[in-house]
Amino acid sequence: MEKSSDTLLYSRIREKDKDALEYLYDRYEKILFSFLLKMTQDRDLAEEALQEVFIKIWRGVGEYDDSKGKFTSWLFRMAQNSAIDLIRKRKKATVPLDEVAEMPSGESSVEQTAEWQEEKEHIQAAVSQLSAEQQEMIQLFYFKGHTHEKIAELCGIPLGTVKSRIRLALSKLKKTLHGMQERGAIDE
Amino acid sequence: MNNEHCDQLVDYLNGTLSAEENRQFEEHLKTCDECREIADATGQLPYLSDPAEPPAGMKSRILSNVFAEESESADPADSGTIDGEPENRSSHSASSASSASSAAAGAAVGNRASSASHAESETSDRKPRNDERTNVVPMTGRGRKRNWVTPLIAAVLLVSLLGNVFAYMQLQEEPEQAAPEPAPTPPETAFQSVDLQPSEGFGGDATAAVIEEENGALNLVVTAEQLAALEGDQVYQVWLIEGDNPIPAGAFTTNADGEGATYFNIDNSTEEWDTIAITLEPQAGNELPQGEVVLSAGI
Ligand SMILES: [Zn+2]
Repeated sequence: MEKSSDTLLYSRIREKDKDALEYLYDRYEKILFSFLLKMTQDRDLAEEALQEVFIKIWRGVGEYDDSKGKFTSWLFRMAQNSAIDLIRKRKKATVPLDEVAEMPSGESSVEQTAEWQEEKEHIQAAVSQLSAEQQEMIQLFYFKGHTHEKIAELCGIPLGTVKSRIRLALSKLKKTLHGMQERGAIDE
Repeated sequence: MNNEHCDQLVDYLNGTLSAEENRQFEEHLKTCDECREIADATGQLPYLSDPAEPPAGMKSRILSNVFAEESESADPADSGTIDGEPENRSSHSASSASSASSAAAGAAVGNRASSASHAESETSDRKPRNDERTNVVPMTGRGRKRNWVTPLIAAVLLVSLLGNVFAYMQLQEEPEQAAPEPAPTPPETAFQSVDLQPSEGFGGDATAAVIEEENGALNLVVTAEQLAALEGDQVYQVWLIEGDNPIPAGAFTTNADGEGATYFNIDNSTEEWDTIAITLEPQAGNELPQGEVVLSAGI
C-alpha cells in the first residue's frame, strides 16, 4: 500500500480511468470491508458503506490531495463517515448497537496479509499504551461512531469534556505512534 | 490546540461538520501539523479490525453501481458538495438504488433472505422507497430475527434438539412459507411468546417462547440479538422470576454479531412466573443475579 502508487492511482481515477478504480478497489477491499463490518456489525451495511466510498471517489467528492495527510487516512475516514451515517440512520429506525466498549483482543485469523498484520501490531501496541478510559473513548468515538452526547451518557462524564478527552486520547495515540517510529519500530 | 479550528478536529473526524466547516477545516489541516498528524494516526485504527471475507459478488455489485451512478448522473450541481450532508447522500443513494440493476438487488437481497423470508421479500421489497438501498433489506426487527436464528441455533444447540427448534422457527414464520418440505413430526405448540425490552442504558432485542415437546416436556427458548459484546467470563443469564424470586433459566454467550440463544427445560408450568429477564452476569452459574438487567418482559 505504498503511498506514491496510491496517489498515482487516485489521479488516474480523477481522469475517469475505470481500471484504476478497480485496482484501488482490489487493493483496499478487504481492509475496508473488515473495518466497515467492525463498525456496522452488519455485512449488508458494510457493503453499502463500501459502495458509498467508491461512489464518492468516482465522483470526486471530497477530493484527496497531499495536504489532507496520508491517502489511507483519507480513505479510511471516508469509510468511517459513511458507516457512521448508516449506523445513525439505522439507530433511529431500530435498536441501538451494542454499547459496551470492547477493544480488540489481538486474536485474528491466519489469512491476513503480512502488511495488515504489521500495521495491526503497531497500532495495537500504541493503543495498549492508552489508559482504559482512553481506549474506551476511541472505541466509542471511532468504531461505534457515537455522538458526544451518547458518549457522555454512556461514560457518565459531562458533555463538555467528551471532546477534549477524545482529543487527548487521539493525541496520545499519535505521540505513541510517532515515538515508536523514532525508536525504529517502523521504517517509514 | 491553540486555534479555534483545532477544536473542530474531533468533529471533523466524526463527520459532523457541515460541508462548509469541513472545507475550512481541511484548509486548517494544511497549516496545522498537530491536527494533521492526529488525523493520520486515526487512519491506522482500521487495521485493528479482524479480517473478514467479503461477500461473494460484492465487487461486481459495487463497481457496476459506481459506474452506473456515473453514467446516470448528469446533475453537475450535485458533485463536490456532498461531504457532510446526509440529505444529499441519501438522495444520491436512492438514485443509485433505483438505477442499480434488478440483478444486483436480487442477488444481494436473496443473499440475506435466502434462509428465511421469501414471503417478506415479496411483500415489502417491491415498492421503491426513499431509504431503500440496493444491497440492504429493510431492517425490521422481525425480519432480522428470522434471518439469523436458524444458523445460529444450529450452531448453538445440540443436534438432538434441532427438531424442536425448527418447529419453533415455523411458528415464528408464515406457516405456508416456512419450510420447503414439511417437518416429519407434528410441531410442538408455542403457547407463549414474548418480546423482551432493553433496560435503560442497554441495547438489544430478544424473544422468549415456551414450547411443548411431543412428550409434554416444556422448554423455554430465548433468542437475542444486537447485544453488547461480553468480556472475560461474562455471560448473559436468563431468569424466570416470581415476585422476588428468580430462578436461573439458561445462560448464553454471544457471537461476533451480538447474537445468542438458549434452550432451557422447564418442567413446571409458567403460570407462576411474572417476569422474564436477561442479566449480564460476571460469570456463569450464579444462582442469584449479580449483574444488571439488560432485557426483560412481563409474562
Ligand atoms: Zn489544528
